[in-house]
Amino acid sequence: MNRSAAPATGKSSGGAPKIDAYSVPVGKRRRSPREVLVFVLLSAGSLLFLLPLWWMISTSLKSPQEIAQYPPTFIPKEFHFENYVHTWHAAPFTLYAFNTLMLAFFAVVGNVLVNSFIAYGFARISFRGKKFWFSVLLATMMIPGFVTLIPQYVLFSKLHLVGTYYPLIIPQFLGSAFYIFMLRQFYMGIPKELTEAAKIDGANHLYIWARIVIPLSKPALAAIAIFAFNGAWNDFLGPLLYVNDEVLYTLQIGLQSFRGSVQTQWNYLMAGSVIVLLPVIVLFFLFQKYFIEGMNLTAGTKG
Amino acid sequence: MKPKRLSYLLGLAALSLVLLLAACTPESRSSSGAPKAASGGNESTAEKVTIDFWTFWGSETRRPIIEKIIEDFNNSQDRITVKHTYLPFGDIWTKNLASIAAGNPADVIINDYADVNLRASKNQNTDLSEYLSKDDIEKQFYPELWKNVLYEDKAYALPFNTDTRLLYYNKAAFREAGLDPKQPPQTWKQLEEYAQKLDKKNGSTYERVGFYPLWGDFGVDSWLINGDGGNGYFGENDQLAFDTPGKISTLEWLKSWQDRLGRQTVDAMKADFGSGVSDPFISGKVAMYIQTGTYNTQIEEFGKDLEIGVAPIPEREEGSGHWSSGGGFVVEIPKGAKHPDEAWEFMKYLTGVDAQKYWALKNFDNVANIEAAEDPEANKNAVYKASVENLADTKVFQVPLSASGYKDLINPHTDAVFLGKETPEQALQGAEKDVQALMAKSK
Repeated sequence: MNRSAAPATGKSSGGAPKIDAYSVPVGKRRRSPREVLVFVLLSAGSLLFLLPLWWMISTSLKSPQEIAQYPPTFIPKEFHFENYVHTWHAAPFTLYAFNTLMLAFFAVVGNVLVNSFIAYGFARISFRGKKFWFSVLLATMMIPGFVTLIPQYVLFSKLHLVGTYYPLIIPQFLGSAFYIFMLRQFYMGIPKELTEAAKIDGANHLYIWARIVIPLSKPALAAIAIFAFNGAWNDFLGPLLYVNDEVLYTLQIGLQSFRGSVQTQWNYLMAGSVIVLLPVIVLFFLFQKYFIEGMNLTAGTKG
Repeated sequence: MKPKRLSYLLGLAALSLVLLLAACTPESRSSSGAPKAASGGNESTAEKVTIDFWTFWGSETRRPIIEKIIEDFNNSQDRITVKHTYLPFGDIWTKNLASIAAGNPADVIINDYADVNLRASKNQNTDLSEYLSKDDIEKQFYPELWKNVLYEDKAYALPFNTDTRLLYYNKAAFREAGLDPKQPPQTWKQLEEYAQKLDKKNGSTYERVGFYPLWGDFGVDSWLINGDGGNGYFGENDQLAFDTPGKISTLEWLKSWQDRLGRQTVDAMKADFGSGVSDPFISGKVAMYIQTGTYNTQIEEFGKDLEIGVAPIPEREEGSGHWSSGGGFVVEIPKGAKHPDEAWEFMKYLTGVDAQKYWALKNFDNVANIEAAEDPEANKNAVYKASVENLADTKVFQVPLSASGYKDLINPHTDAVFLGKETPEQALQGAEKDVQALMAKSK
């Protein structure tokens, strides 16, 4: 992937040497007690984090009787794989999965394109009041989502868009302060010489953005794509508020049908949750590198 | 040249996105405000109206029941079509609020009894008195439930279902302890005697506890109603009734159960309780247990061998009343609904005899329509029958507007009693003072 822009990447992504540090040979037999301690602590920590995940999987394979049992069983006595089949057919989950995928698709496309476009402007173009507008942009991050919930709903309602997917898709194309900030910081790290050389050769901003900046910022864009996908995939409140037709429901709403006012069908709820979580886990392992880099991007933007 | 091709490509991408977006608009924008005229190919009546009905009944057990009722309504006339939308429990009301604020709510929604008055005062539901003056259906409901749909003497909702709490007892354990399984305890005194006979100890640990008042679904609040002649925390004109002699002695009595069994026993046993087969009553760890009428479906599912009886909640002393507590749900028209007249027609059907009878038969849930609740077919089920009879003694309370959230102020005080930090009298006085302050502040 990176090969096309090989000479530039090594220079631009300041995070790269850090990653190499992990692969420094540790094969020397002796490990310091401190290392051992850290290793033990980390293992214990990850086990702790994996426990709820295991609990979810284990519950999803139990019968309702076994779930209710005390003391609880860690490994199911009988494996009820049919829970998964039942769950999938209890509600139109195939449809819900398709709907959710579509929303996630728009979220990824919208966020990656629009935010990188806006960020380019803030990073590379000088215009009057740039600092002011940038701080206005950052200030919007301070407003909690719940405050804008009702006004935004009223707005979309006045546009006669409630009941459609537009209120869930359009905002994805209007930029997100956090992603813009993240990308701007990344673009600031791209050597000015590269873009200026292109400018001298007669390239306009659009061309520089599409042909130089975007290829150089693949890790950052991948991180944003992943965040956007996760956000859309796990969004519950958005579809709940804006969609009125059950044909347009998403997986997160579908899952709630196992949770009633009187009792909860835990085995189905957990089986459904495992299914819904699966793409996210797969995504994580495929793009693990970018996930981590994304975190470095957010953490290492002090300068 | 190259930049040109690029912008052309970008333009193309944008265009295809727009087209894709257009494709995902659903055919029917029913809630977008513009009522769609003559949606189907139906030419019979030009003004057929579709109304939106929101419920939280989406489970495999409840959804078919409510959808059958809707289908029956749709087939019973040709003017109104009801469209059912399931929304998750709890979240349904978030969505309701947002849609009321935006002016495009559902036409009919299922909501909670406890704050019909709060919603009425905040302009969130519709005054039904105009409809009621034409169709006087007030008499078909239990008066206790009707009380709760009123705000300033006007009805803002119709009662749909309700629940009540009963004493379940294990007949086999009764025989084992030498008690007559046909004679459940009637008074608190008998309850104590029975409980002690039903206790089964192995050394210092309990194998079975006869009864503990705060296990099950009857909390301190409910006991205070039971022990104070059916009176809640708030009397006429929102007057506070906390440190009444009845309530003080009830709290003392509740504490005495903990003193007898020991706090450690109570806490340790409670920690072991689960649901389903590990439910304390179903697993035989407790011989008498207070629960709602629909708890019986759990017994039928998980405790097939259990031989049970049900009885009204024992009274403080003979003649003081077997008071129980209840709740449930109402149907109402959110403020700003587009088709209130049609919504009313449907609400009448939902709370009418046929629909209510069907709901009761399929769910063994208590319904608000008296005639339907007392229908002989559903009453073949002994527990259901007992729960219907129990409704006469069941209190459902509306919370005064200014005291909304009062429970958070009471609980710390009642907890302090069971931790031995406050006497019942101190606790109730303290709670009254706190609630009074809350009400003064919000008035």
